[in-house]
Amino acid sequence: MKQRLFHKREPGREQIPEQMNPRLPGGFHLPPFGVHQLLAVIIVCIALWAIGVIWLSMQAASQWVGSWQDDIRIHVYLDPQGADKGRETALKQQLAEIDQIASVRRIPPEEAARWMQQWLKDAALSEHELAARLPITFELTLSDQESEFLFDDIRDVAEAAGAQVNEDEVGLAQAHHWIAQADYLAWFASLILALAMALIISNTLRMTLLARADEIHLMRLMGAKEWFVRMPFILEGMVLGAGAGVAAWLLLWPMVWVTGGWFAAMEIDVNNWLLLLPLLFGGALVGALGALVATANVVASEAGS
Amino acid sequence: MSRAVRVLPVTGRLLLATVWRMSVALPQIHMQQLMLRYPTGKTAISGVTLDIPQGQFVYLVGESGAGKSSLMRMLYGGVRPSSGRLMVQGSDMRRAGDAKVRELRRHTGIIFQDHRLLFARTVFENVALPLRVQGWKTERLVPRVRKVLAYVGLADRLWSYPEALSGGEQQRVAIARAMTANPAMIIADEPTGNLDIDTARRVLDYLTDLNRQGTTIIMATHDLHLLESHPGRVVELHAGRLIADSYSAQPKSDT
Repeated sequence: MKQRLFHKREPGREQIPEQMNPRLPGGFHLPPFGVHQLLAVIIVCIALWAIGVIWLSMQAASQWVGSWQDDIRIHVYLDPQGADKGRETALKQQLAEIDQIASVRRIPPEEAARWMQQWLKDAALSEHELAARLPITFELTLSDQESEFLFDDIRDVAEAAGAQVNEDEVGLAQAHHWIAQADYLAWFASLILALAMALIISNTLRMTLLARADEIHLMRLMGAKEWFVRMPFILEGMVLGAGAGVAAWLLLWPMVWVTGGWFAAMEIDVNNWLLLLPLLFGGALVGALGALVATANVVASEAGS
Repeated sequence: MSRAVRVLPVTGRLLLATVWRMSVALPQIHMQQLMLRYPTGKTAISGVTLDIPQGQFVYLVGESGAGKSSLMRMLYGGVRPSSGRLMVQGSDMRRAGDAKVRELRRHTGIIFQDHRLLFARTVFENVALPLRVQGWKTERLVPRVRKVLAYVGLADRLWSYPEALSGGEQQRVAIARAMTANPAMIIADEPTGNLDIDTARRVLDYLTDLNRQGTTIIMATHDLHLLESHPGRVVELHAGRLIADSYSAQPKSDT
């Protein structure tokens, strides 16, 4: 009966009973997990999930903007009242001379009137009368809408000729600026949340450290090296962070599925797999950071023991 | 002289002989005008001069606050001397770096009055701690810990938790923990303070036996009756000063 309780080990080596699982402190041995650790995983998981949502949204927004930004045309309007043929030609020529403009097209009044009719849902207006009232319209195709002074140059040329630029279209063409700014905000939010997570993990580990203060003190009295004392807590922080990261990633899937139909209609295909490694390693990193903060305090307070 | 030594050049042999002579002649602990003043301004130890050779059994006696615990803390680097000289196992404790102190602690067993066992861990885990700190693998630890526990008569309690043991057994586990790394010196701070007379005698039997095997024992105690059954060198402190030393059989204060 007694023999069945022992693991098989190398001959000559002492056997450890099966029901006994020695938990020796220090080094690369992970301390046991408890309620505090579970709560920390849940809180950090929620924070990492929020970061995941932010970056999935960024991914979707960037795809959405990219899908129509290349097709954007900018329209410049010249009032036909008092505009002679020479002014019109000069404006077209000056617009065409801007480097980032691929082409300039004068839209025929009939085409503009037809488009207007469609836009007004076939309002049965007189096309001839409508065409006479519409401004002279130039359609600009851009080769590089991200160029810094492009829209200022267009506005300068238009103003000099007494024309107007469609600012709504300019706003849409400059959407990449919004995305870039949103990108900064996303990084900032991620950083703040990461700091909060590090503090949460640090606080949890601090409680664990206090609970094991005797053990740490004894290990130091027995000549343990600092890395030996700190390593279990750093490992614990990393495991907490990485575990929360994986849980957060799993919790992103329901959101991806729920919004899948909506995104598909906008021809957006978000890839949640891209977030797995960043959430896993990011979580482990903030966990290690929190553990370093927690153990640094203990080292300072126990110096000289 | 061994053949290896004979083939050494003359200077090498001279050096070897000098080192050997020094290691024999130097006491394990050497204190010279030792002083300890805490940051609060309290002087715990003042002008103590004392030599303790390897293998002695030294009792530190004196009233509470005499400086026994402070002196013992200095021996394992828990506090650094404020002035004077303290050499422990060849290390100058005023100048020793952290690595040196750690190394010294690995060769020193420490026993406390309240034994400071880890109650959330088994007897095995408690006793294995000093060896674990030194990097021993679990498989190697078990036979060593079992052997040490057998020595203190607790071989069958390997997987028990300390709370299941009596006070005397707990102190024996603490002794086992202190001796498991086979230290050159054991420092015991009133290890019998909380024990009845019979249990205290048994604890002291183990320490005396370890001393016979060559381990230096330095033990602070108030239980003077134990000195009759377990004789040893008695060093008496009073208000941080050394006032009596049975080794020199005369008062040895430097004031």
